Amino acid sequence: MYPLWTLAWANIRKTRSASITLTIMFVIAALLLNAGLLVLINYGGFFTELTDELQTSDVIYVMSRSLYSPQTARYFARNPHVTATEDLDCLMLDGYIKPRDIDKNYYLLFFDMDQTRTMSEWKFVGESLGISGVMPIYVPEVFKSIEGYHLGDELIITYRDDLRGKPYATGKDDETELRSELVFTVKGYIEDVYLSSTETGVVGFYLPSETYHALARKLDSPIYQAHVTFADLDDIESFPAVEGDLRDVIGLNSTSLMASPMTSVMAAIDLPMLQLARTMMANMVSAMMVLFALIIVGVCLLVVYFKIVNSIEEEMLNIGSLKSAGYTTRQIITSIGMQFLVLAVAGSTIGIIGSYAILPAVALVLEQQSGLMWEQGFDATISIAVWVVLLLITALVVWFAARHVHKLTPITALRGESHTHTYRKNRLELHRSPLGLSSTLALKSILQNPRQSVMILVIVTAVAFSGAFGVTMFYNSAIDTTAFAQVPGQEITNVIAIANIDRTSPALLNKISKMSEVRKAIFLDEASLTLNGNDVSAEVMVDFSQREASNIYQGHYPEKSGELAVAGLLAEKFGLHIGDSAQVGFDGKEETFTIVGLSSGSFNGNAGNSILAEDYLRFNPDFKTQVINIYLWDSVDTARYITTLKDTFGKDVFLEIMNFDELMEEALVSYQSIISLMGIAMLVITAFVITLVLYFVISSSVIRKRHELGIFKANGYTTEQLMLQFTLECMVPVIAGASLGCVLGGIYTNALVGLAFRSAGMMVTNFIVDPLWVFGFGLITVVFSFMLALLITWRIRNISAYALVTE
Amino acid sequence: MNAVALETRQLSKVFENATRQQVVLRDLDIKIYEGDFTVIMGASGAGKSTLLYALSGMDRPTSGSIGFFNAEITGLSNDQLAVFRRQNCGFIFQQMFLLDSMSILDNIVMCGLLVCSDKKKIARTAQDLLLKVGLDETIWSKFPSQLSGGENQRAAIVRALINEPKIIFADEPTGSLNSAAGVSVLDVLTDVNANGQSIIMVTHDINSALRGNQIIFIRDGQVSGRCTLDRYRDEDAQRRAQLTTFLASMGW
Repeated sequence: MYPLWTLAWANIRKTRSASITLTIMFVIAALLLNAGLLVLINYGGFFTELTDELQTSDVIYVMSRSLYSPQTARYFARNPHVTATEDLDCLMLDGYIKPRDIDKNYYLLFFDMDQTRTMSEWKFVGESLGISGVMPIYVPEVFKSIEGYHLGDELIITYRDDLRGKPYATGKDDETELRSELVFTVKGYIEDVYLSSTETGVVGFYLPSETYHALARKLDSPIYQAHVTFADLDDIESFPAVEGDLRDVIGLNSTSLMASPMTSVMAAIDLPMLQLARTMMANMVSAMMVLFALIIVGVCLLVVYFKIVNSIEEEMLNIGSLKSAGYTTRQIITSIGMQFLVLAVAGSTIGIIGSYAILPAVALVLEQQSGLMWEQGFDATISIAVWVVLLLITALVVWFAARHVHKLTPITALRGESHTHTYRKNRLELHRSPLGLSSTLALKSILQNPRQSVMILVIVTAVAFSGAFGVTMFYNSAIDTTAFAQVPGQEITNVIAIANIDRTSPALLNKISKMSEVRKAIFLDEASLTLNGNDVSAEVMVDFSQREASNIYQGHYPEKSGELAVAGLLAEKFGLHIGDSAQVGFDGKEETFTIVGLSSGSFNGNAGNSILAEDYLRFNPDFKTQVINIYLWDSVDTARYITTLKDTFGKDVFLEIMNFDELMEEALVSYQSIISLMGIAMLVITAFVITLVLYFVISSSVIRKRHELGIFKANGYTTEQLMLQFTLECMVPVIAGASLGCVLGGIYTNALVGLAFRSAGMMVTNFIVDPLWVFGFGLITVVFSFMLALLITWRIRNISAYALVTE
Repeated sequence: MNAVALETRQLSKVFENATRQQVVLRDLDIKIYEGDFTVIMGASGAGKSTLLYALSGMDRPTSGSIGFFNAEITGLSNDQLAVFRRQNCGFIFQQMFLLDSMSILDNIVMCGLLVCSDKKKIARTAQDLLLKVGLDETIWSKFPSQLSGGENQRAAIVRALINEPKIIFADEPTGSLNSAAGVSVLDVLTDVNANGQSIIMVTHDINSALRGNQIIFIRDGQVSGRCTLDRYRDEDAQRRAQLTTFLASMGW
């Protein structure tokens, strides 16, 4: 074995630069694969472990305390689906926190940390200070890692102080003048499952008992009093039914589900949906990492294959010498195998170790969306599996590439003949070529030896595909976010005004529509109903063609009475297809509807369905449309328009007016930063892989062809001519690969993202594939490769004509 | 007397490595005239090939200078030397050094296109020369691996001639050929020289050396003797005796 190892090591040293390049590629592949799999497999598991550790309930109901009556308590106690509950009073503010100079709006819940809990516990994370000092507060850990709050920092919360004045008062009242501030001192960090993410819209804070009561005295109004019920259910599938009945009990069914003043806020979140929401981005990012890693693994294996095939040709004489000296074919293949397996072992080991070094950074990025502090220790199973699989497939490729050595007799090898040697056809005769000399020689070389070009073509296609994917993701998350915002199924508007149930009317809508700032205004409500006996919610509209963004990916929205569109994920769950009949009902009344469309979107619970207002009103004549989507002209400032709207209609008309532009921007910011980071990472890795591959291919090729280059030089070819010729030889497959990869990336990006989002209900995505950006990326890839190839071929200057005769 | 084609002044070449220094050419002063068939002979390691490649601009001397038709070439850059070679020199190597991946015709045309961009003209010239050296069109599109050594060497001679160089440098052109093929190659070179082309050839072989009219004998990197013969017309005993006597005096 020792002589074989010596031989392998000698070859590694001889091709030092190519060996280093290949090792680096294995490092990248192993790093991405291990990190991607750790996130993909363990992140969800980590969430489950955390929920078990904190005995998290199946559901959390957050409601205004005024809604939690003895009747509500009885409902929970008597509901056969509810197996256990725990109730907590808390304080709730619709407030703004201003980390990094950006006002962020949340529903903020304040709990007395001395209250005992048996369900949905919370825990301290990291170091904390004592409760002494001014207004101590314990905040979700995400406030430290993402928002940058340190121990002892001031946390300033601004809220609309309804005790100071009347919001929406007529005249010149400025809402900002009605705002009050609460100043806390951050004393520590906590984590719970339901309320420690800033992305769910509801954030929980924990106060020492004394502080809590001081705050309760300051916020002495029913609008700030809230109640939380944690509940375990017999089966999580009964969650929609329990929520639907609860809405009946607290009398919210006659209003739009979106119509929720502070005194009638009721939010219900179930654990599976929460897990989906909080781990969705992690799943998507990790799936992309694994996919990208697999592409790079494929690139590594291709490089190994071609390197072996080439080195067998180059080392033919040595192979002949070894065979004639009595070495068996197996020994020779083992020596070749050792050479590459050593590189694979080194690269994979470094990559796997390195992946543990980058995981904290990945976890930090994911924490922006999940609010979960994920600490991944060494996972022997996954890492060893990655290591073993990488080595096994490398060994398999080595054997496959080196199997030709079996057929070589010592004498054919000593003569330098390959068993596969065949006289080739003389393609592209020089004197008949319409191209210039360098181009013709480059093309001729490609045609005479297409193997290398095929390898470059395949590799560049793969990396250009992922690069084009990265560009598209970056474009949609950083440049034009319209499509990105529509992915969850949200109708994109500028302002959402929720009219008071007593004041809502078509006339109101008409008046708003006629305002000079308004391009269009529509009623778009959401209401409860049943679908084949299951509690669901549905968008209710008079005319769905008024929507600006369609969520329907198959069929169409309801156009006439008796038609229903169903969320795609629900349709799969209930086994419904377009054209099927379904029983739709409310409050005991039922009718048969026809499914005419399937919709896509990240709909909570059983939402995402669509029904015409005329149909819904037959079931629920008391229902009143209250939610008005207001679309403004491009030049109109949304905040200023909201002031005008309040001034025009007075204090009693609206329950709430939301600046949708602002809300959307806040909601998307963390998703956008994750996606654009991912896109940039993919671009950087693409550039890196192309650099490595071109370096590997060209430097190997220069070594392999040094004899040929010597002949060219002896006959009067200059270094520049040969550099250009080599570069052009590489550029043909690079241009073809970049074009093919970009086209495929453009075509399949949405399909690929759709696959990643599908489990969250987003059956289709319509990310904008900007041809200019994708083309620009392709062009940059080609120009970058050209410059790189010229740079790498610079080593041709070291080859002298004289070396040809002295070798 | 013809013009001086190549002239060396105090030409030296020293190979160095970490442990030793080897002087291969030592202060050589040589003049080679236009139209001559110059043969460089000497024992193995005497510095024949080193001298040939230094004269042709394939290698750089350690010191001294080389004049090519009175133009200094030792100061040229690598790329300037490449242009110099393509315009002025033709090379014939013992190992032929034809490109395996190209047909015989392409091997020749690829050199011709460096100097003349008229592809048809170059192809026609190459084909004429190939016919002249006895290689008919049945082999033009074949690859070097499909031909015999003699055929390849004749193709290499055509490659050397394609740009009508002022001087042809030949390094043991018959060294790897059988005797019949060797004679055929020497006949071609003799014809070429008879048409006015200068040739500088390195050889160990007396039969090859008989074709030259200037014989330079190198020993320990220095010219140890010169012999001038008449122009080669035919194999005759007197010419052979004259050369043999010279070589004997050189200790051959």
